[in-house]
Amino acid sequence: MTESNGGMVVRLSAVRKEYGEAVALDGVSLEIQAGEAVAVMGPSGSGKSTLLSMVAGLDRPTSGSVVVHGDDLGTLDEKGLALFRRRRIGMIFQFFNLLDDLSALDNVALAAQLTGTSASHARKRALELFEELGIAGRRNTYPAQLSGGERQRVAVARALMNRPAVLLADEPTGALDTRAGEQVMDLLLDLNQIGQTLLLVTHDQQLATRCASRVIEFVDGHIAGERSLEPTA
Amino acid sequence: MSAVWPVSRAAVRRRRIQTLVIGVVVMLSTTMIVVALGLLAASSGPFDQAYGKQSGAHLVASYDRSKVSDSQLTQAARSAAAVAGPFGQTTLDLGSRGMPGAADSLVTVGRADPNGPVDRLNVYKGRWAEKPGEIVLNQNPTDSGGRGAPGLGSTMALTSGQKLTVVGFAYSVSQSADAWVTPGQMTALKPTSTQMLYRFAQAATNAQVSAGQEAVTSGLPSDALIGTQSYLALRAMEAGEPNTFVPFLMVFGWLGLAVAVLIVANVVSGAVVAGFRHIGVLKALGFTPTQVMSVYLAMVSIPAVVGCVIGTVLGNALATSLLTRAFENYGAGSVGVPIWVDVVVLIGVPVLVALSALLPALRARSLSAAQAISAGSAPRAGRGLRVQRWLSGTRLPRSVSLGLGLPFARPARTALTLAAVVLGVTSVTLAVGLGKSLTTYQTAASRVDAVDVTMFAGVAQNGPPPAGEDAPPIAKLTDAEDEALLRSTPGATAVTASLDLPMRLAGTQTDLRATFYRGDYAQLGYRILDGRWFDGPGQVVVSERFLRQHGLAVGDRITLQTQGKSVRATIVGKAMYNSGDEVLSNWQTLALVAPDRRANLYEINVKPGTDLDAFVKAVQAKDSGLIETPGQEAGSFVAIVLATVVLLTLMLGTVAALGVFNTVVLNTRERRRDLGMLKSIGMTPGQATVMVVTSMAALGAVGGVLGIPLGVVAHRLVVPAMANGAQVEVPDFMLDVYPAGLVALLILAGILIAAAGAYFPARTAAHTIIAKVLHNE
Repeated sequence: MTESNGGMVVRLSAVRKEYGEAVALDGVSLEIQAGEAVAVMGPSGSGKSTLLSMVAGLDRPTSGSVVVHGDDLGTLDEKGLALFRRRRIGMIFQFFNLLDDLSALDNVALAAQLTGTSASHARKRALELFEELGIAGRRNTYPAQLSGGERQRVAVARALMNRPAVLLADEPTGALDTRAGEQVMDLLLDLNQIGQTLLLVTHDQQLATRCASRVIEFVDGHIAGERSLEPTA
Repeated sequence: MSAVWPVSRAAVRRRRIQTLVIGVVVMLSTTMIVVALGLLAASSGPFDQAYGKQSGAHLVASYDRSKVSDSQLTQAARSAAAVAGPFGQTTLDLGSRGMPGAADSLVTVGRADPNGPVDRLNVYKGRWAEKPGEIVLNQNPTDSGGRGAPGLGSTMALTSGQKLTVVGFAYSVSQSADAWVTPGQMTALKPTSTQMLYRFAQAATNAQVSAGQEAVTSGLPSDALIGTQSYLALRAMEAGEPNTFVPFLMVFGWLGLAVAVLIVANVVSGAVVAGFRHIGVLKALGFTPTQVMSVYLAMVSIPAVVGCVIGTVLGNALATSLLTRAFENYGAGSVGVPIWVDVVVLIGVPVLVALSALLPALRARSLSAAQAISAGSAPRAGRGLRVQRWLSGTRLPRSVSLGLGLPFARPARTALTLAAVVLGVTSVTLAVGLGKSLTTYQTAASRVDAVDVTMFAGVAQNGPPPAGEDAPPIAKLTDAEDEALLRSTPGATAVTASLDLPMRLAGTQTDLRATFYRGDYAQLGYRILDGRWFDGPGQVVVSERFLRQHGLAVGDRITLQTQGKSVRATIVGKAMYNSGDEVLSNWQTLALVAPDRRANLYEINVKPGTDLDAFVKAVQAKDSGLIETPGQEAGSFVAIVLATVVLLTLMLGTVAALGVFNTVVLNTRERRRDLGMLKSIGMTPGQATVMVVTSMAALGAVGGVLGIPLGVVAHRLVVPAMANGAQVEVPDFMLDVYPAGLVALLILAGILIAAAGAYFPARTAAHTIIAKVLHNE
C-alpha cells in the first residue's frame, strides 16, 4: 500500500523544539526505514506528540532537520508543507477528527478531492478502502452514528486515501474500548504487514508490542532507549 | 457576587477580539440608532421644530395706520399667548435695475431688535440694523441670493432717492417681512401700515387660527385689518422640501435599527454559545447558576456599555450636524437630538444587549457542568446533510464546496448573519437608487451643465444711466444684434435669448415669474413630461408644482397680467423644473404684453473643444455690455441628502461586514479542530481561506439576491413619496435606475460586504498552527 523505495523514509537529525523556555525535543536524531513499524512511548510531556508533529510537517523544529521520503521539510513553505502532507503523510488521531457534517464516505473521499481528484473517482477509491477495512456497510453513515472503532477505521481509511509514505498514528486506541482497540491494532498490523510504514505514538504497551518492530522510549524530550521487537502475528 | 467581577473582567481581557467586536458593533449601531431616532424625531416636524425655535408667528397681520392706533392694537392683542409689535411697515420701491434675481420692491418693517416674544430672527450674517440708513435683508441661509443679489455692505437705492446700506442678513421662518430697518428709519420712510405678530395658545387648525384672529381683532374698526398670513398656509407652502426628507429618513432610520438589533443579537448570542465551555468550568469550580449568568452578562455588558456611551456621543455629534445642515433652510440655527433619544438609547441598547445575552445564558444555565464543558467538543449530529452530500459530489473545487456547505452547519447563526447582509444590501441598493434618482432629477430639473455659456445683457433704465464703478453694465448693441453676434462667434451651435418678467396669475394674489424664450430653447435641457413645447403666441409651459398649487392641468387656460396688460394663455406642456411660481413661454407671447422689451439673458451652447474664455472675450470685444454669469448650479438640498445617504450606507455596510466578521470568528473557533484536520490531510492555507471566505460570500450572494428586490421596492416607495412631498412628478427615468449591469454590481456589493468581513478571520484561521489545535483535546 505504500510507495516504499525500500530505503530511508524518515530521517530526523539533531531536532530541537522549544516552546518558549520549555524544551519539547532536545537534539533528537532518528531514522525509519520503509516498511518499518516504530512505536514511540514515554510519559506525558516527554515529546512524543511533538515528534509526530515534526514528521508530519504540522510544526517546525527550532533547529535540526527533518527529511521525509526525500523532502527536507525545512525548505518548504506553508503551501509546500500542505502539499507534502497531502502526498506523503497519512494521520490518525486519538479523537478521530472526522467532519460531523460529512458522511463516512465523503470524509474519506475528501482527502483525494483536495488534490483535485474528481468526486466520482475519489468516492470509488474510498469505497475500495471501506471494503478492505470492513466498513463498507457504514459508508453513508455520519460520524455521530458510528461507534468509536468504526470512526477510527474511517479515519484510517482517510489516512490511506492518498497512499502515504508514512502512516502516523497519535494514540490511535486511546479513545476506544478494549474490543475496538483490538480491532484497530489488528488493522494497523495488517497494514504494516503489506508494507505500510508506521510511526505510532502511544502509551499502550500492548499496542506497541503487537504492532511495532521497534520501540523508542522518550523522556524529557530525548531518546532514552530503543529496542527491537518481533511483531505478534 | 464578589467572585463575579474579577472573573468577568478576566473574561473580557481574554476574549479581546470578541470584546472589540461587541464594543465596535454596539458603538456603530448606537451611533446609527441615535442618528436614525434623531432624524426620525426631527423629520416628524421640522417646520414645527424650526417654528418653535424661532417662536414663529401663528398670525402675521397688517393694519391700516389711518384706521387703527398702536395702543388699540396692543389693547386688542391681550387674548394672544404672545405678541410682537406694533411695528411700522412699508413697501420700499427699488425700481428695476434689470438685474435678474434682484427684487423690485421690499416689504420692510421697523424693528428695534431681532429678538422678542414672537418671530425671533436668526441673524446669520452681519448684524442687526442699529441706526438710520441701515437695512437687514430676509434671506434663507441656504440661498446664495442669485445673480445680482445685494451683498453685505452693498447699497440699495430707493426710487425716492434714499439709500440704505445692507448691514446684515437674517431669516424669519414666519416670513414676516422682506427686510427690516430701525424704527427711526421706518418713521423716516413713512410707514403705510402696522404689523402685528401673534402666537395663540391653540393654533393647530385653520379654525383655531381664525378664532385667534377674531379674538385679537375684536373691538377694532372693521376695515382696519388689511391683510393676514397664517402659519398653517406658510407650513403648507414650505412643506415641500423638508417633506422630501421624511420618507428616506424613515426608511434609513428603521433599516439602521433593524440591522443594529440583528447584529447585536448575533454577536452576543454567538459569544455566549462560544463561551459554554467557560461556563461549564465556572460551574465545576462552584459558581451558582445565577453567578455564572451574572459573569456572562457582565462579560458582554462591559464592552456593550462602553460602545453604547461612545456611540451616543458620536451619534449626537453626527445627527446634530446632519439636522443642522438639513434644516438650516429654516434658519433655525443648530438643531439637536431630543434628550429622550439619548435616554432611550443609553438605557435601551444595553438592555437589548443584555436580553440578547440572557436567552443563550439561560440555556447555558440549565446545562450541567459536564454538558457545558463538553459543549462544542463532543461529536454532534451533522446539519444540512443532504446539501453537504450533494455539494461533495459536484465538480466544484473541494475547498469551495466545503465552504458552500458551512452555512448549513449553524442555521440560526447563518439566518441572523444573512438577515444583516440582506439589510446591508437593501440599504446599498436603496442608497444607489436614491442617489441616481436624485442626481438625475437635479440635473434634469436644474439643467445643470445643459448650457455652456450664459451671458447677461444689462438694460438701460429710464433717465440718465448710473455712473461710477458700481454702475451695472449696459449692452451696447440691440437685442437682435447681440443674438446675431453670439450666433456668428466661432464655436456657437445654439443660442437662446430670454427675458424674465414679473407677472400675476389673474384671480389670485400669486406673483409669478414668466420667462420668455426665443431661439434654440429646445437645447436648454428642459425635459417635457407632458404635452409639448409652445409653438405660437398665448402658450405656456409650467411645472408639476405650479399645476398642483393652482389645481390646473395641461390644456387649461390661464390669464397672466403685467403692467396693466393681460394675456390669455394655454398650458401646452409640463416641463421638469422645481419652481411653482415660474412659467415658461415664448417671444410671441411676450409680444402680446411687452413688445418693446429686449432679452437680458443669452444661453449659448458651443462645439466640443471650444475655448470658453476665448469665446466670451470674442463676444465682449464687440459688446462689452454682455457679462458672463454663472450657469445653473445644483442646489444644496440634493447634496445634503446624498451625503446623508452615503454616510448611513457606509455605517450600515460596515456593521453588516462586522456581523459577518463576528460570525466567521465564531465559526472558525468552533471548527478549529476541523480546520486543523483538513490542514493535516493537505489543505493549503489558501484553500482554507477560500473555504471560509466562500462560506460567507455565498451568504453575500444570497443576501444580494434577496436584498436587491427589497431595496428596489423600498426605492419605488420612497422616491414617489419624496416626490409627492416635494410636489414634483416622478417620471419613469427617475425610477428606472437599476440597469442589469448595476444589479450585477449590487450583488457583488453583497458578496463584497460578506467577503470583506470574512477575509481576515479566515486568513488567521488558515494560518493557525495545526499541532496546537489537534493536540488541544
